[in-house]
Amino acid sequence: MGLEQYKGDMEMCCRCSACKFIPLQKVAGFQFANVCPSISRFNFHSYSGGGRVNIGAAMLKDGFKYSDKLLHIVYNCQVCGACGVSCNYAMDMEVTEPIQQFRIKCVEDGKTSPALDKVIAGLRQQGSMVPVAGKRGDWASGLNLKNAAREKVDVLYHVGCLTSYDKNMQKLARATAKILQKAGVNFGIAGDAETCCGGRAYQMGYKEDFLNQAKKNMAMIKEAGVKTVVTACADGYQAFKVLYDQYGLKGNLEVLHISECIDSLVQSGKLKLSRKVDLAVTYHDPCRLGRLGEPWIHWEGKKKPGDRFVFDPPKIYRRGSHGVYEPPRNVLKSIPGLKFGEMTRIKEYSWCCGAGGGVSDSNPEFAGWTAQERLEEARSTGAEAIVTACPWCERTFNEAVQGSGSNLKVYDIVELVEQAIQ
Amino acid sequence: MALSKEIYAAFQDVVGEENICDDPVIMPSYHSTEHAAVILPGNTAEVQAIVRLCNKYKLKMRAVCTGWTGMFPPGIVYLDLRRMNRIIEINEKNMYAVVEPYVITAQLQAELMKRGLHMNVKGAGANCAAMLRGHGHLDQTTSGDDRNHLAIEWVTPEGNIVKSGSLGSSDEWFCGDGPGPSLRAILTSAVPPGVTPGVFTKAALKIYHWPGPKQFPVQGVSPDYSLSEIPKNMMARYYSFPSVEKMWQAEIRLGENEIAFELMGFNVAMVAANIAKNNEEEEVLFKKLSQEVQGPGFFVILAGNSAADFEYKKMALEQIVKDAGGKSLKSIEDPRTEGIIMCQCVRISASIRETFRPGGAFSSIPVMGQRDLTIRWAVGAGKAKMPLIEKGLIVDDGGGFFGWGVEQGHLGKTEIFCKFDPQNPEAKAAVEAWSKEQSARAFNERYFAVLMGPVDQMGPGLSNFHLWWKKIQQAIDPNGISPEAGALV
Repeated sequence: MGLEQYKGDMEMCCRCSACKFIPLQKVAGFQFANVCPSISRFNFHSYSGGGRVNIGAAMLKDGFKYSDKLLHIVYNCQVCGACGVSCNYAMDMEVTEPIQQFRIKCVEDGKTSPALDKVIAGLRQQGSMVPVAGKRGDWASGLNLKNAAREKVDVLYHVGCLTSYDKNMQKLARATAKILQKAGVNFGIAGDAETCCGGRAYQMGYKEDFLNQAKKNMAMIKEAGVKTVVTACADGYQAFKVLYDQYGLKGNLEVLHISECIDSLVQSGKLKLSRKVDLAVTYHDPCRLGRLGEPWIHWEGKKKPGDRFVFDPPKIYRRGSHGVYEPPRNVLKSIPGLKFGEMTRIKEYSWCCGAGGGVSDSNPEFAGWTAQERLEEARSTGAEAIVTACPWCERTFNEAVQGSGSNLKVYDIVELVEQAIQ
Repeated sequence: MALSKEIYAAFQDVVGEENICDDPVIMPSYHSTEHAAVILPGNTAEVQAIVRLCNKYKLKMRAVCTGWTGMFPPGIVYLDLRRMNRIIEINEKNMYAVVEPYVITAQLQAELMKRGLHMNVKGAGANCAAMLRGHGHLDQTTSGDDRNHLAIEWVTPEGNIVKSGSLGSSDEWFCGDGPGPSLRAILTSAVPPGVTPGVFTKAALKIYHWPGPKQFPVQGVSPDYSLSEIPKNMMARYYSFPSVEKMWQAEIRLGENEIAFELMGFNVAMVAANIAKNNEEEEVLFKKLSQEVQGPGFFVILAGNSAADFEYKKMALEQIVKDAGGKSLKSIEDPRTEGIIMCQCVRISASIRETFRPGGAFSSIPVMGQRDLTIRWAVGAGKAKMPLIEKGLIVDDGGGFFGWGVEQGHLGKTEIFCKFDPQNPEAKAAVEAWSKEQSARAFNERYFAVLMGPVDQMGPGLSNFHLWWKKIQQAIDPNGISPEAGALV
């Protein structure tokens, strides 16, 4: 069905502009009231959630007329879902899904971004969204980890492309492995048998490539007999947990983010965070762990005849209410010595790091601009460091810090937990 | 419709390449009208230069803020004022704030609350321009319409910058009427850009005392927000009455005693919409609340300036409601419900859930006037909705209407909605017919004149105001670059 499926939702937009701002009760001042990086950066209403669905509805009605401007609008969006949350405080309509489907339609029609084509070419050739250097599991050298493709394990740690191959990010894989080892979790990695989750390809609009990756991963998981997958990457989490389910591929697989896993291990006493980490931090909710990480809801139904937009069976909208918000906060608050403070835009109305939707590849300047805004917000809390739970966020923030000369530190949550258990 | 290369380049020289676009692909996001171009000016000088170019090239233009609604002739130059989004000044001593057009109410209000101050939130919602002219739930204590506008900076349709009121003779924004030119009758027919020609680039707004918290303690995850505690000096209740007359009696006494921070004559469908997190919940709740109320009612927020003041206000409210045979709606007394509806009605003005969510669109007849008179009209307009409700053409709201007194007085706002599916042509036609009939009834039965209606019919009954207004427009807009149309939010 694709975009057609959301025709009614798109026609429902009342152009109120709520999609541009955080939920209005939460607006705490002039600053940090915006929620959508795209409209904030490019200003034309067409770049807002509402503007995008207005265009989608018009094109379904009058035909697709592609232009450079349209493709600029399409590919300069992190598909971060913030517009949908703000809209859905008051309205019953899908916002993020039609935006995603519009992008898929563009790719299907051959209207792609050359930068993203290049990334996808790498995926097709090497199974990775980042340049490949060495083998996928090289980072684990000397850690004596089980190979889940060959040995029976309870948990598969799916490492992901960026953490596997980027030399600056491999520390996150090692930290994650050490934490799981310390807690005595019977886990393994898939090493060379691991391949990209496909999540970022989906965000970029390459649905078929996503499906190929998803099928490969689920075949490997089935073969290995694994019941639980842990990711330390928000994109990977959303792919396994939400997107695989959306496309009927997930089955009964349990999907956990490492922050959920650590929270549970700490609560049960299997992991002790005893070493002091003397640092003032704030936490950045990755979009695909937070609002876009909430479970997929399978629904088929029809509008009831009559005046009101009610459905049979009732439609439950994914409004960002059930993302992973508390586990990472619980973990940070469990680390001795750590001082934790919140930013203005948090949880379901968090500001994106800038990397989502392939923007870090299609328009790195815009990704960096988005990250700078977040760093400014982090600094406003008095924090010495911004902590996230996704390597894509960490990389984007680090690049922004380097670009601005800021002394703000950037950590992934596993790095601080690793410090606390040593 | 497209601009020539020469004209496009002239505009581009003013705002830069990034801030002008004439690609038809963006137009569906600008009210699906074929505009000549959309331009994003960044300051008053750029607005002035654009307006002068419009005069030079005989192009019609229209400026818009967040852009909820509007009517546009095709081929105009559309000024999206989004880049003009600065709070220029919050003057706590003289109690005014100066803003550019794209500062939204939620932003200014949040800054004011931190300072123990407040403002009128228009019914269009806190997502709209802070400088918007209009009415809202807080009219009882923060007044409404043009009463809140002080000095204004206005780019006239000929491209001159006019500074009204005190700004005309000094750098001060404190007064709209002097010392300096008072153009209130012209400028405040709609601020920001509305039926008054030209572009409002800055406006000073009157601000008020706020006895509530610096920030409401909102907890939970959207859309399930609640307050972790009700501010100790605040209370929200909904009262229903045995008759419209009794409700009006209570409303007028509340005004006379000046005790309500907010008085909003919600109908029960609007109460349900504001509490419910989705349409299904709203439908069920509307039916439930309809059983609980005894008749028409209103929503009240009390806010005490001290513990003693709060106690006094509560006692006075109780007595007034009792004297009028009013009954408190138990569902609102639940602290969870009380907290969120209090916060919503102060911060958001509650609008979107009430208006667009149930059916997708709404048609409204708003009127400012003598409340007892307009209420009598609204009762009839509500009854006239019932056949449409029975046919399933509009959302069932029990034939409700709503309204409130302004400045604690007998003058106030009365309004009535029809919520409907805009994709249903039969519903659309039925609502248009209802609107026309009820507007005509208001005029013919001498309740009031709906000025959005046929002015040629109403004008002669109102000193031919429409002819005078046209002459004024021609004088200030000789090239006719600033077209007339409905109000824009």
